[in-house]
This record gives sequence, structure tokens and C-alpha cells, in this order.
Amino acid sequence: MMDTPILEVKNVAKSYGKGKKEHKVLTDLSISLREGEVLGIIGESGCGKSVLLNLIACLEPLTKGQLFFKGEEYTGKKPKDVCRWFQIIFQDSEAAFDPKMTIRQSMHENLKLLAENQDDADKRIEAMIQIMGLAPELADRYPRQLSGGQVQRMAIARSLVTEPNLILCDEITSALDVSAQATILQYLQQLREMRGLTMIFVSHDMALCSTFCDRMAIMKDGEIVEIGTPEQIMDHPQHDYTKLLLDAVLYVK
Amino acid sequence: MAENILEINNLTVTYGQFKIITEVSFKVKPGEIVCIAGESGCGKSTLIKAVLGLKQLGAQVQEGSIILDGRDITRLGVEERRQILGTQIGYVPQNTRGSFNNIRSYEIQYKETMNCHGLPFVKADAVDVFKRLNFPDAEDILSYQPWEMSGGMNQRMAIGLAVLQKPKLMLADEATSVLDVTSQKEVIEELAQLRDELGWSILFITHNLGVASHIADKLGVMYAGRMVEYGSIKKIINNPIHPYTRALLAAIPGKDRKMPVGLEGRPPLDGAEWEGCNFMPRCKYACNECKTRKYNLVEVEPDHFASCSEGMGEGL
Repeated sequence: MMDTPILEVKNVAKSYGKGKKEHKVLTDLSISLREGEVLGIIGESGCGKSVLLNLIACLEPLTKGQLFFKGEEYTGKKPKDVCRWFQIIFQDSEAAFDPKMTIRQSMHENLKLLAENQDDADKRIEAMIQIMGLAPELADRYPRQLSGGQVQRMAIARSLVTEPNLILCDEITSALDVSAQATILQYLQQLREMRGLTMIFVSHDMALCSTFCDRMAIMKDGEIVEIGTPEQIMDHPQHDYTKLLLDAVLYVK
Repeated sequence: MAENILEINNLTVTYGQFKIITEVSFKVKPGEIVCIAGESGCGKSTLIKAVLGLKQLGAQVQEGSIILDGRDITRLGVEERRQILGTQIGYVPQNTRGSFNNIRSYEIQYKETMNCHGLPFVKADAVDVFKRLNFPDAEDILSYQPWEMSGGMNQRMAIGLAVLQKPKLMLADEATSVLDVTSQKEVIEELAQLRDELGWSILFITHNLGVASHIADKLGVMYAGRMVEYGSIKKIINNPIHPYTRALLAAIPGKDRKMPVGLEGRPPLDGAEWEGCNFMPRCKYACNECKTRKYNLVEVEPDHFASCSEGMGEGL
């Protein structure tokens, strides 16, 4: 059983509109993820990376295909059935927190909805915030009273406090400046070492993914054109599109 | 033409009671691309707002002067300023989605903008600019409306409009940070190409030193409203002196695929009065002297200035 992937996406397709106006976003896409693995998905705007995450978390129905969690099919389930397994973190987390609730209140909501065990909720929230390198006092602030990087770290803490099996990160660092981005990556890395986090990390930054992911998938027009370890992708790219993306990475020179 | 297109002398800028920029000085020579880098909130956008001098943007120059091509423009009246904006100073903002009207064609908006700056709008000139900048569909692009375009294309249309007015100095405020890596590279190459062909000067604001190193001649690193390091970008990147510059460089994912190193903490609140060095709480080289150290930009080698040299000689 050890070999059963935690998540399997099989031949998934998604299109919006019908008939002549049909717009295909994903065409026949398959990926699988082992427990403890971090998969980076890289592609330009509009290639369907965010749609893929929404489909995995059942936020939108599939047009075609199947989804499996630990070998069991869950295609067509409701978000509330799967939100214990998956948590999404978005690019703009300030918008994902209720502006009229303190961070602590928002996190309590999450725990109430998702966790079976309600004991020591406050303690668990504060412990998680500390793991993300923030002072527990910050929990009593409102989202607007925190910096972009701090809100993002709070969003990660919120998603982890309910102990999901898989975290879906949608461009979580692209709105931040480089130093805040590096700090977030460091804490995620630390969490991986502590708890064996499984993660899908959607980004358009290849250099960033190559420092952090176990495997990288390159996506173009709703298809994965190449998938491999960072060494394979960065040092020996096969597909022309991968080469094009690599060429556009601006390293400090 | 004066020796410098833009001279910023000892500039202090506030928003109401908040001091955002403190005693910043630097120069932009003709044909030079100067990048200003620093984290969010360090005052880099405020610098551009001060040069633009639009009162609506809220930035007030308290001290110092801004000299554009030999002329002091620090405290110009509304009418005089209108004459230099667009035609002498071009501006490309970060989010051009908000700069164009989404449901009117580019042609109308180009025409309006040009006429408003007292320039004639000649369609053939615009098409010429688009071709020179390698826009796809250069002939027809003016008939489109912004909502039909991708964010990257819209950004490039804003650059096209700024280019058409042939300003002496171009201000680009994070003009590429909303773009995908591929369009980012294209825009950067286009800006560099314009500089080479037309001898323009560009003041380019970014938080990405990778971008800066591909386009700039000079680099200024700002921290909490002060310029902490300034000079030739090659010298700074090969030999970063100020601890903050070093932290900024260490935070960029490199070719070696090592984890980037973040910088903990936050810069001091806007306008907070500090005894000694204001980077000290986050600095790994901080020592006792820092508590009383006064800000002082000194020349460490020709064309390379830094306000602190505690980290000199150590690896990143």
C-alpha cells in the first residue's frame, strides 16, 4: 500500500462554455503525487494552472476524467467533503481572510469546520503561528494590520492548523518582494522537514521552483509538456517550451 | 543638453506626517539606465511620484531639489508641470490595467493622451513604434480595446504610448513585475533597445535584482527611505558592501538551486525616529557601534558608494 499515490489526477479535461463558444482550458491532463512530495507546476498566465488546483479541490466540476485520493475515487464530491484533505493558499491572502475578523477568529472558524478535535484550539493556533516564525500576539490583529509577507505566513498557518493531507499553493509568493518570498520558502522547507508536507506549488518562477520542489511540471495551453526533477528540467530540458521558459529566467549576472 | 538629465539633490519627501524618503541624492546621465531596488515600502515608488510631482499622489517634497535637464522642477505650478509631463518625462506604472479605459479603443486613448500633451497624433508613427518594439499585429493593434488584451500586452501598449511622446526621461515603476517571465524579458529587452537607439535615460524601479542586472548601468539600493548603496551595478553585484544589499542578493533564487535566504523582520515604521542605524535590528553584522552610527554614504571604490561596510569581505 505504500506505493499508492496520495493524489492521482487521471485524464482530466475542463472546458468552459458550450458548442461554438466552448473554450478548452485543460485537455487530458494526468499527474500523480506521492506522500511527502512537493510538485511544482510552472506555466504562463492562462495556461490552466489555477484551474487545475480548483478541480483537485472540487471547487469546480470536471468536464472529463477522474480524481483519486489515496487510491479512492472522489470525482464529483463537494468542496466540504474534501476540504479536510486539501487546503488551498492563494496569491492574495489578505482577500482570503475576513477583513472584520482577527486572524485568531478566522483560524477558529477553520478549526470549528474542519477539525474533529477542538481541544486546545488557541494553543494549536499559536503554536502554528510560531512555527511560521511570527509572534503569537499577531493573531489578535486584523489582516490589514499585517504586512503582505506576514498575512501570507498566517494563511499558511491557517491552512496547516487543521492538518490537511495536501496543500495546494497558488502563486503564493508572486505578490511579495524577494526577501519576504525567501523567508516564506525557508519556513515551508522547515515544515517539510518537520512534518513531511505534501504540496503542489504553482508558480511562474522556474528559478524559485528549482530550489524547492522534488519534481517540476511544465504546463502549456492546458497540457503538461514536460515533467521531471529540477536537475532534469533545469540542466537537460527536452521540450522547446521548457527551453523558452528557461531562457527567460533572469538570474543576477 | 545638461550634463545630467535628472539630478536628485538631498531629497526628503513626506506623506502628511510620515517621512518616506530621507536625504536621497543621485544623478541620471543621458543614455543611462538607473535602477532603484529595495523591498516594499522602502520609498522607491515615492521617489517617482516626487519626480512626477503630481499633488494628487500625495507626496510632498520637504527639502532638496529635483533638476530635470538643468531646470529645477521641484516646485512647479500645475500648468508648467503639465507641459513637461509626457513630453519630457514619460511614465509607465506598475498596473496599467488602471491607466487605460477598458472599453475604449487604444486609438482613441492614444489620440487623447497625445492631444492633451499638445502633440499631434499620427497613426503611422504609432505603428512605426510598435514595429520597432516588435509588437505582434502592429498594424491593427490600435483598434483593439484593453479588455481584449493580456496583461503583458496592455503593459507594452502603455510603454508604446510613453515612447510615442519621445520624453527625455522615462520613469518605469515596477513596469515588469506583473508580467510573466517571458513577457518580462521581452519588455526589458525593448526598453534596453530604446535606450540604445534613441539615447534615452530610464529610471527603473524594481525589487528584483535579477531584472536590474539585465538592464541597468547604475543601481541604487534603498532601505527605509535612505539610499544605502549606490554605484555601477556590476561593481555592486560583484562586491556588495552594505549588509542590506547582501541580504537582498541572498534572497534571490540562483542558478546553483540553493535555497534562497530570507530576511526576517520588518523595516522601521514610516517616519520613525531612529538612534543609530535603522537596519540594525535585522542585520547579521550588527555590533555595538551601530547603536550610534550616523547615516553616511561613503565612496568604497570609484563609482561605488555604501553607507555601511560591516559585512565587507565576508561571503554572502
